[in-house]
Amino acid sequence: MEARTVTTTAQLPLRERVRELPAVRWARFHPESAAAAVLGVLVVVLVVAYGVHDVAQTGLNGLSLGSVYALGAVGLTLVYGILKLVNFAHGEFLTFGAYMAFLVSVTWGAPFVLGLLFAIAATAALGVAFERIMWGPMRARKAGLLQLLLMAIGLAFLLQNTIQFIWGTQVRSLDVNVTDTVEFLGLRIGQTDLLVIVIGFVTLLAIGAMLRFTLLGKRMRALSDNFDLAETAGVDTSRVVLYTWVFAGGLAGLAGVLAGAVTTVKPQMGFELLLPIFAAVILGGIGDAFGALAGGIVLGLVIEWSTLVIEPRWKISVGFAVLILVLFIRPQGIFGRARAI
Amino acid sequence: MTEPMASSPAAMTRPAEGRAPGVPDGGRPILEIGDVRRRFGGIMAVDGATLDVEEGSVTALIGPNGAGKTTLFNVITGFYRADHGSIRFQGREIARRPPHAIARLGMVRTFQITKALARMPVMDNMMLAAPEQPGEQLVNLLVRPGAARRREREVRERAEELLSVFQLERLRDEYAGVLSGGQRKLLEFARALMAEPKMLLLDEPMAGINPTLGARLLEHMHRLRRERGMTFLFVEHDMEVVMGHSDRVIVMAEGKVIATGAPEAVRSDQRVIDAYLGGGAAVGSEG
Amino acid sequence: MTLPLGITFDAFTDFGFWTSVGILAGTYTIFTLGLQLNVGFTGIVNFGQAGFMAIGAYTMGILVVKYDWSFWLALPAAVLVAVAFGLLIGLPSLRLRADYFAIATIAAAEIVRITAQNARELTGGNQGLFGFEGSWDNVSDSITSGLQSLGWSDPETLFPLFLVVWATALIATVLLYFMQRSPWGRVLRAVREDEDAARALGKNALVYKLQSLSIAATLGALAGFFLALNLNFLNPEEFEPLFTFIGYAVLVLGGLANYWGVAFGAIIMWTILEGTRFIDLPISAEREAAVRFMIVGLVLILLMAFRPQGVFGKKEEMVLGD
Repeated sequence: MEARTVTTTAQLPLRERVRELPAVRWARFHPESAAAAVLGVLVVVLVVAYGVHDVAQTGLNGLSLGSVYALGAVGLTLVYGILKLVNFAHGEFLTFGAYMAFLVSVTWGAPFVLGLLFAIAATAALGVAFERIMWGPMRARKAGLLQLLLMAIGLAFLLQNTIQFIWGTQVRSLDVNVTDTVEFLGLRIGQTDLLVIVIGFVTLLAIGAMLRFTLLGKRMRALSDNFDLAETAGVDTSRVVLYTWVFAGGLAGLAGVLAGAVTTVKPQMGFELLLPIFAAVILGGIGDAFGALAGGIVLGLVIEWSTLVIEPRWKISVGFAVLILVLFIRPQGIFGRARAI
Repeated sequence: MTEPMASSPAAMTRPAEGRAPGVPDGGRPILEIGDVRRRFGGIMAVDGATLDVEEGSVTALIGPNGAGKTTLFNVITGFYRADHGSIRFQGREIARRPPHAIARLGMVRTFQITKALARMPVMDNMMLAAPEQPGEQLVNLLVRPGAARRREREVRERAEELLSVFQLERLRDEYAGVLSGGQRKLLEFARALMAEPKMLLLDEPMAGINPTLGARLLEHMHRLRRERGMTFLFVEHDMEVVMGHSDRVIVMAEGKVIATGAPEAVRSDQRVIDAYLGGGAAVGSEG
Repeated sequence: MTLPLGITFDAFTDFGFWTSVGILAGTYTIFTLGLQLNVGFTGIVNFGQAGFMAIGAYTMGILVVKYDWSFWLALPAAVLVAVAFGLLIGLPSLRLRADYFAIATIAAAEIVRITAQNARELTGGNQGLFGFEGSWDNVSDSITSGLQSLGWSDPETLFPLFLVVWATALIATVLLYFMQRSPWGRVLRAVREDEDAARALGKNALVYKLQSLSIAATLGALAGFFLALNLNFLNPEEFEPLFTFIGYAVLVLGGLANYWGVAFGAIIMWTILEGTRFIDLPISAEREAAVRFMIVGLVLILLMAFRPQGVFGKKEEMVLGD
């Protein structure tokens, strides 16, 4: 065979040339390390510009916010990964959890811990109920993506407004101590915020361990990777699906209670958190629970750190900007393997 | 080993070699592929494929499952980007160009799983494919409505002609989704022809259609080659079709081209036999 | 007439009520025609339509109020800005999968809304923007005089707006209908069905998707103008994702892949939404508001479960089952 002319890199269009640069190539094949590097550079720049104290202080706030995001994101990503459902009603699970805690702790006067536990259980039950009533039957009928999406939106309308019907639009509080602060290393953090961080991290660790080491966790990951394959391999998919909703609901309920504890409880709270939670899911890689965890924490940090640079009222848009950036540059997120295109 | 042993009673013997009038012999090949590589995850799906296709020829691309044939098709037609290598169509470099640009240059492909646009009528499927339709540009709908309407009429007439060649004209207003599998294959073929291609890449054109329809498709293929000098490259597993209807056979295995040549030569090439069977009977034999 | 539980339907006999519902229905018809083009005919799931509405309304308002532009120049300028934004967002995100594109567009729309909320000098923030309707008032008065000369002694104040909104909605529907039947529309449907098949036949799918998005942006901007003229006041709350979701409810109610169904869906939806506001139910206003949106949610759920093609959609062209 005669020799063929081979197209060298220099002849490729610009976008291709950028993709082939050594640094970019490394980042493409080592996304986790690249993300960590970017974060590290960001921290260094911020510390140089604003000092360790401010960065650490806002960082603590970021961890608190990030814990809420991470708890919400893990549930959302599990549902997407296993059921391929973009659950726009997920935010309402957070709202529901917060109001359940309100009901038990404030209206009925029980201790906060009981309210928390009740909220987790109730939201988990809600998740399972909707799976039984709606999602399961729709999947059996081979409903399409858009159909399920719009149904989730309808469910969100229904849930949020039912809550509003029952409790009204008045902003509520979970009667937790929001004024007491804890000081350490010259940093100050609200008692409740610290609680959120601790509970959040403990729960996330537990969930992480469950996914990594237990049989159920392995099955969930298998289903997330390839539902049909796992089914043919004999996994009891309906059981795993139920547990998925238990975890998604429970985690969301917990996130809602924690969010309500550090801020307030109102009917729109869940939807307001939903889009940043989506951002966390996509940042981490949709379908990947560890990614959602990392994505949530990172997003919380980035959003709070942004208040050093811009006025606080703009900080929510930072979340959306991150989301859009991720979608444009690397839609499969940091940990995602599958091409999202 | 994947070749089906189905015999096709209507299979024709290879027709006499024919080049369309005016096609130069010994000129530049219409398609030249040089050291094309494409990686998927961890493996090289196409690992340095190099081959030529002569204008006006009918070439078969065969190989065991996983040899990279469909990947190569996708790379040639722009649906996958080649990691490396050169693809020249009529002397023009087309590697890494987008699929619609390559189609407009005259290289049209069909798909292994037919992409008949199910929720559109058959006639719409056909008319869609015609090139140079001013009505497809919004601006023209405004400033040149007459030209758009005229071309629509022309396109509809040509679509009718082609549909009747394949005896699909009764189905012109049906949604393509109600057609049988074989009818959809014919529709995809007819639709590809509407695009007035210089070269047609067919991905398993015979799969799933009954022998009569298949023979009709092949007959039309030869007629087009004879009368218009159209070039054909097809992936096939049906060895009778490959042996009986191609001028030349290219064999791929594990992402590389391992043999090319006349059908009989390739069939008894040891490398090819090894690739398919790991030693043993010759490719395509009944024994 | 008073029913048990103190429910009255007095409002329904009020012409002003129907005019008001009509304006909202007409505005949302224009809004949702854009969604129909995108979802029903191109297969792109645009969840950012409220953002285009916001850009149209705010650009017009800012140009007129802050920069003293003529209202009639501000309108086309605002459309251009909306289209430019659509192209900016569309170019990188249209190559994404449908659900990712949906999320990208909703994020983009939220950025617009948050900007409107926080760029206070420019947009008035939560206090709002007003004072742009001067030129429109002149037009409205002329139409009112015209109506009076036709014999209507005391025309409803908002009726001129009603007329203009529906005239626009009807023109838009007719235009879209004919565009859809053209070869251009055929390519769009092919892109909806199977992008790769369209590409393999020489069609540049991205360009068609961008055109579809740009037209939706234009329609969104137009809806924004009418919203602004209806309220005489602009406020970021009017552009929450909620309204895009209502647009989708309208869309699936009328049926996908059908431009005429959009008007039908819009009229039904806004009759429900506004009508429940005026039925004197013995519950608080807050609860009434909640009930309204519970109904919207139920409509969406039930439609998707039992009649996804909507009232006028064709089962064969049911675009929802991927």
